[in-house]
Amino acid sequence: MAEYRAEVVIWMLSGTLSLVMMLVWMAQAQAAPGGQIRGYDAAGFATYFLSTWLVSQLLVVWVAWELDFEIRQGTLSAKLLRPLDPMWTHYASHVAERLVRLVPMLVLVTAFALLSGARFTTEWWAYPAALGLAALGFTARFLYEYAIGLLAFWTESSTSFQELAWLVYAALGGMFAPLDFYPAWVQGVAVWTPFPYMLGLPAQLLAGKAGPEDALRGALVMLGWLVVFWFLRLAVWRAGLKKYGAVGA
Amino acid sequence: MSRYLRLLRIFTGATLSAQLEYRANFVGALLASLGEVGVALLGLGIVFGQPGITSVGGWSFREALLVTGFFMLTEGVISVFIQPNMSKIADAIRTGSMDFTLLKPIDAQFGVSTRHLNVLRAPDLLIGLGLIAYAASGLTVTPLGALGAALLYASAVVIVYCIWLALSTTAFWFVKTQNVAELFNGVFGAARFPVSAFPLPVRAFLTFVVPVAFITTVPAQAMTGELAWGVALASPVVAAALFVVTRLFWLRAVGSYTSASS
Repeated sequence: MAEYRAEVVIWMLSGTLSLVMMLVWMAQAQAAPGGQIRGYDAAGFATYFLSTWLVSQLLVVWVAWELDFEIRQGTLSAKLLRPLDPMWTHYASHVAERLVRLVPMLVLVTAFALLSGARFTTEWWAYPAALGLAALGFTARFLYEYAIGLLAFWTESSTSFQELAWLVYAALGGMFAPLDFYPAWVQGVAVWTPFPYMLGLPAQLLAGKAGPEDALRGALVMLGWLVVFWFLRLAVWRAGLKKYGAVGA
Repeated sequence: MSRYLRLLRIFTGATLSAQLEYRANFVGALLASLGEVGVALLGLGIVFGQPGITSVGGWSFREALLVTGFFMLTEGVISVFIQPNMSKIADAIRTGSMDFTLLKPIDAQFGVSTRHLNVLRAPDLLIGLGLIAYAASGLTVTPLGALGAALLYASAVVIVYCIWLALSTTAFWFVKTQNVAELFNGVFGAARFPVSAFPLPVRAFLTFVVPVAFITTVPAQAMTGELAWGVALASPVVAAALFVVTRLFWLRAVGSYTSASS
């Protein structure tokens, strides 16, 4: 992964949605009477959105694209001969990319924070808690995106499903605004999904707007979802392999 | 000239029949279009959903929706006409098939820019036009304003085409360019909001460094009749200047091309 250092930086910069939303909300807060919206002033928005940007960088998953390619080109066949589920190779390469990403990411966040006036929390426990939640969130996202990528066994539109899944993740995770800005019924739906706990909650921890008990509850919910996604991935994988063998590959 | 028009017709027919063979892909393309419009509308909807917020950077909801309409339309123009061609330039250089394009008795830039179409993303164009029509129906739009918007949008398309061509032309030296296109998409994402919704330094960046403001905000302003004459004139000038510069850049790149094997 370290071979692609320049590309990793470009990929990081191309995920700009949370930065665009940050700038819009900051300008809105400055124009609002009292200089704030729902308790967030410009610096508050900067802190929240830079945190979501940071967390979303840790949650990046592209495995659906790779599976789509491997299944369509047939390169999956060679991997099936190995005595290890190919999932682990993908997982390892995603984790390795995180390590390459870390240094330029911290440099960029520091630069953006200085420019926008963001202030992260001073509570030390919030950082390991956010990192732990991000690790759980990344694994959950990896598993469900893997299941979506495996749809390439049946359909040619698996990467489009992946784009739709990204939309739900970004919307319910809180990339457009903190979750309490959403209509009440959307919040009611969102708490039953894993998305607010993988993106919004770690960001709120970094911004100092969530406590340790929120982090603990979020971690428990994420663990539950991990089990669900684990079995979902396994079921799709087994069904898909049968289908793959059936076409004679 | 008529020869180029005939070629356009042949190219269009050829890609149409090639793409319509894969009908299942249509479902995928439709999902992707819905995803794009979903992101654009959610961003706007949540901002205007807050109590007390009636405008974004001085634009009412209808007016901002007009900008989103132009954004979706441009997404469509990029995915139907521009990206399918531009993404193949790097491949053609890597594999050496660029030789064939250069040997043909037509202008090579015309050849690489018009050969392919992605008709499956045409719903983006319809969604964009639909959003513009819906937003305009709640605003007072004069015929002159609509005409001005159409003309300024033509310059906007030229600007988008030039930026993509310039980025793709770097493939003559760098071989790989998908990443640069990603970076453009990232900056272009800001165009879903009126440029005045951003803090002042960012606004300047989006107007003068990467002219995103001319692509969506300026045509929308022309439609609502809030466009200053200076800006109205600047847009075609920027487009013409960019076109000349990218043309020269393209000719230079072709001049330095030495085929894949030599």
